Amino acid sequence: MLPDTTVVKTVLAGVTQAEVSTSSLGVVVHVPHDDAAATLSALKASDLGFVMLVDLLGTDTGEDVEITYHLRSFSRDEELFVKCALSYDGVLRSVWNVYASALLPERETAELFGLTLAGHPNPARLLTTDGEGPLLRRSVPIRTLEEVRDR
Amino acid sequence: MTDLRDTVLTHALQAEGTFGPGKAPAGIKRIPKGVDGLATEHLVVNIGPQHPSTHGVLRLVAELDGEEVVNVEVAVGYLHRGIEKLGEHRRYHQLGTLMDRGDYVSGIHCELAAALATEQLLDVEVPPKAQWLRSLMGEINRIASHMVWFGTFGLDIGAMGQFLYAMREREALVDVLESVTGQRMMFNYVRPGGVLDDITPDAEQKLRTFMRTIDAYIDEHHALLGGNEIFQKRVRGVGIIDRDTALSFALTGANLRASGIPYDVRRDKPYSAYGELDFDVPLGATGDAWDRYLVRMEEMRQAARMIGQCIDGLPEGDVMAKVPKVLRPPAGEVYACVESPRGEVGVHLVSDGSDTPYRFHYRAPSLFAMQVLEEIIPGNLLADAIMLVGSVDIVLGEIDR
Repeated sequence: MLPDTTVVKTVLAGVTQAEVSTSSLGVVVHVPHDDAAATLSALKASDLGFVMLVDLLGTDTGEDVEITYHLRSFSRDEELFVKCALSYDGVLRSVWNVYASALLPERETAELFGLTLAGHPNPARLLTTDGEGPLLRRSVPIRTLEEVRDR
Repeated sequence: MTDLRDTVLTHALQAEGTFGPGKAPAGIKRIPKGVDGLATEHLVVNIGPQHPSTHGVLRLVAELDGEEVVNVEVAVGYLHRGIEKLGEHRRYHQLGTLMDRGDYVSGIHCELAAALATEQLLDVEVPPKAQWLRSLMGEINRIASHMVWFGTFGLDIGAMGQFLYAMREREALVDVLESVTGQRMMFNYVRPGGVLDDITPDAEQKLRTFMRTIDAYIDEHHALLGGNEIFQKRVRGVGIIDRDTALSFALTGANLRASGIPYDVRRDKPYSAYGELDFDVPLGATGDAWDRYLVRMEEMRQAARMIGQCIDGLPEGDVMAKVPKVLRPPAGEVYACVESPRGEVGVHLVSDGSDTPYRFHYRAPSLFAMQVLEEIIPGNLLADAIMLVGSVDIVLGEIDR
């Protein structure tokens, strides 16, 4: 189910400069990354009741890294996507205080997109060994087994 | 004969100066707990990654105070193959192959998530027969997957026999899956637009034979393991995940329902044939390990019910829609999810109009179930930590991806 865009706009009116649109994904809210945590707490506390952060992922758009927060409300059976753009050398500010489920996905996203993680209780690498580059950036090619061995 | 323990203990106490010569009470046998002057410290133990009870290659860094775990940290990455990156260099048809290797115990569901996302991008109509076959194979896979969980959960608690009996049931179901898909694990059966093939008469016969006994077998399993007093004492009231914790850690599937939240993707966002099937969504009351056990056992019974409905109601027709050999979906972004045995498997696809996805993201339910371990294990005994890892049912293949 899609949330009502006007209700979402009203909830976020005093919090941030939010841009609400509808796409093939559903209702998407674009906010500046600095306001991401405030946006999520407002949405969680509001009547919309977005109590679950289902998923968190990054996408390399070619100009920056787009962080997507996927929210779900059980009381209204609605889903919402909050997106924010982050420069390649940007700092990903943790939202684990709002949603504890962000803990590991944030570590993974920061590691695989080469971002710095801030405000996180354990910002260590999660999946790859030290020295591995930001593997999920489009500029990083996939390598054959031989190329990895020769390294 | 002198008791060696007494000798050593007396000596140790004297050395500490707690009980000097002549001060030691007569007849001291053991060190009383918490005697001043005896140094104790926390012990950090690495459990895994190569350990049978870690369900793959999970490493738990546990800080112990005696037998009690005071802090635990999960360490993963041993199975990282970069499925998401590889997906960006494969065609849409090949995503199912990658997803199979995510949660390798419930491949059908993972393939289905990728196929649903691709179909959403392409806007393809899947023939009814393919929809029903997807549900049928999915539910067969669900029982087969829960049997692995059931067997290993027994092993985690020390019930060695359960695993062998659970494998008997799994084997019969895997036989059916093999006759239909050609594979015992990495099925590659669900394709964008439909499924690989119709169910064979041989597989249908095997399935009907098996369905006559499955309910009795599940009851027998439940009586043997769940009816055991030792088992109940180990799991009841241990590892309680309350509603708020379950929501904030984004648990899905049986773990969420055991905490009393009635959310099931099959019922709330019906896909394939689930809209037409009749099934119940079992719920737990307190969210302890016992509830998670009961919810999964009931899910197996419900899956058996659905298999029965699927074989009887299987419509006639094609199993594959007409889709091009090379898929070039229009640019767009979609999220599709299914209810796998471990929870909500989601695929987030971004298309730029070319024949490969621009971004392919796999939402793994086990990743979120594993996070909650750091919350529920501290305060429990080390042996219960092993049990709790089993109780949330994680597969490391999809955590690392």
